[in-house]
Amino acid sequence: MNAVWDWASGVVDWAVANWSHPGDDERGVWPRLVEHARLAYVSILIGLALALPLGLACVRWTRLYPPVLTGVNVLYAVPSIALFFLMLPYTGFSDWTAIVPLALYTLVILLPNVVDGLRQVPEHVRQAAVAMGFGPLRRLITVETPVALPVIIAGLRVASVATISMVSVASLVGLGGLGQLILSEGFRRQFDAPIVVGIVLTVLLAFATDALLVLAQRLLTPWARSGGRRGRRHRAAVPAGEATDADAGTDPTQTADSGNGARPWTS
Amino acid sequence: MITFEGAAKHYPDGTVAVAGLDLTVESGRTTVFVGPSGSGKTTSLRMVNRMVEPTSGKVLVDGQDVRSQNPAQLRRSIGYVIQQAGLFPHRTVRDNIATVPLLLGWGRGRARARAAELMDLVGLEPSQAKRYPHQLSGGQQQRVGVARALAADPPVLLMDEPFSAVDPVVRTGLQDELLRLQAELHKTVVLVTHDIDEAIRIGDRIAVFRPGGELAQYDTPERLLTHPVDDFVESFIGYDRGVRRLAFFPANGLSLREDVVLDDQDTVERALNTVDTAGEPWALVVDQLRRPLGWVAADRLRREPSGVELGRLDLTAYGHTFDVERDSLRAALDAAVLSPAGRAVGVDADGRVLGVVSQADLGGAIWSVSG
Repeated sequence: MNAVWDWASGVVDWAVANWSHPGDDERGVWPRLVEHARLAYVSILIGLALALPLGLACVRWTRLYPPVLTGVNVLYAVPSIALFFLMLPYTGFSDWTAIVPLALYTLVILLPNVVDGLRQVPEHVRQAAVAMGFGPLRRLITVETPVALPVIIAGLRVASVATISMVSVASLVGLGGLGQLILSEGFRRQFDAPIVVGIVLTVLLAFATDALLVLAQRLLTPWARSGGRRGRRHRAAVPAGEATDADAGTDPTQTADSGNGARPWTS
Repeated sequence: MITFEGAAKHYPDGTVAVAGLDLTVESGRTTVFVGPSGSGKTTSLRMVNRMVEPTSGKVLVDGQDVRSQNPAQLRRSIGYVIQQAGLFPHRTVRDNIATVPLLLGWGRGRARARAAELMDLVGLEPSQAKRYPHQLSGGQQQRVGVARALAADPPVLLMDEPFSAVDPVVRTGLQDELLRLQAELHKTVVLVTHDIDEAIRIGDRIAVFRPGGELAQYDTPERLLTHPVDDFVESFIGYDRGVRRLAFFPANGLSLREDVVLDDQDTVERALNTVDTAGEPWALVVDQLRRPLGWVAADRLRREPSGVELGRLDLTAYGHTFDVERDSLRAALDAAVLSPAGRAVGVDADGRVLGVVSQADLGGAIWSVSG
């Protein structure tokens, strides 16, 4: 055990000693962490900003979806390293070399969630919104997107974790945040402390981001959450991705007068 | 008043949803569109708020072509209740109900006050205001759907199979509620259903649609039952239409026999005298509060010792009674058919026996009203 303990305290010592270098913003663990978070978050936000309108378009014009989905899937099959190198002639060693491919990967993961989320809006809800006098845009923004939100956020959680882990690969082109610790300081010098610190901080960043998204979901979709605690779930309105945590709670006081709210729509 | 003038809907693939509908829906009344699936009843309904545009002909609301108005604005002035309620899952009950007032630009405070009013009107508890739709039962959800449709006080209310997704007991309750609301509000209601019983129960006028989107008959419920125009309407209504029609005639016109109603403290001897004088094969025994206990047959009385009180005999069950003031001839006939004595027991609102009526006497009464 002592050997493990010594090793671990060695890693921590290295991290503390190299946390930051006053006067030199480029070196140290902390600037790498900040860079990592910046590259990941900007990519995720751009990916989300692209996935939302593209997803809306794919739902509105259904024929658009198969080619778009095939297109982004092909993109996903391209190794990230290749994409980073392909970007170099255009963006040089700026952040964009990392951000453009990472945003595209986020888009690939998010797009099906946006489309599925919007498609899962029950037809009777959509019809009711039309009949109440919502215009198409207002309906999309105030009814369909909120109802799709749990599925979209579920996709965002997957996409953000994937993106945060993939930022490290960009260290091959001189970017990559914590990946630089792993590649330049650790791998090249045959020194494991920076590698461990890089991995641990990447995982912690992913966890923290995921926790933030869960919190955001709780705040943004209180209606999806309350079902698990005290009510019957209206199946038609529950996104499949959210069904796991919520079906347990059934309120016995509400069984009287219970109709079946989940029959398929028939005209 | 809603007028369909040759309104038709043909789809590009050749399907005819509605084949030229001419019909006038009266203001302040409930008109039911009924028919099997594929008869164009829902399509016709949706032409009124432009959720479906006719391919030829037009629809007028109070003389104005619906196509002269922007669809979204038109729809805010027409209440719509959808099958399964179609509530917005991400909005509370209160905000669901306030939907149209908010779209119309009322302030939030005024819209919520209106929502509270409507919750009361449709029989929802104020405590349910902040619940989300999935926390309600199907019947409660449908009430919210009705409240939402009425929120901006539209003169016209369209209801598309509003009660088809709830169980029969809840459905009957919601139908009663609709009748009560309509007696109070006098909206121009157009309701679509495939359930002819619901149509007859709720409608002031009924439009029966046949497959292919044609109007088969447009009449009052009573006329529909007495004079179906053709075989399709007759079979759609069902072959018990004669019996159903009796629901439109009150039972209070029946002449009830009071002489064969006997007290449980009367003796067998007295009972025999009574039935022999009346020439009736059965007598009804009631308790001191005149609530029915059961039937006793004249043949049976002859075999019992003459001094025994009727209350001590094993009596034949009387089945169910009918309320003379509130029930219809249909209920009275049903009570008579189900009774082992072949006679129905008529009671007042407190369940006290007013008299009995035999199947033969009922037959005479039915013949005289339906002749």
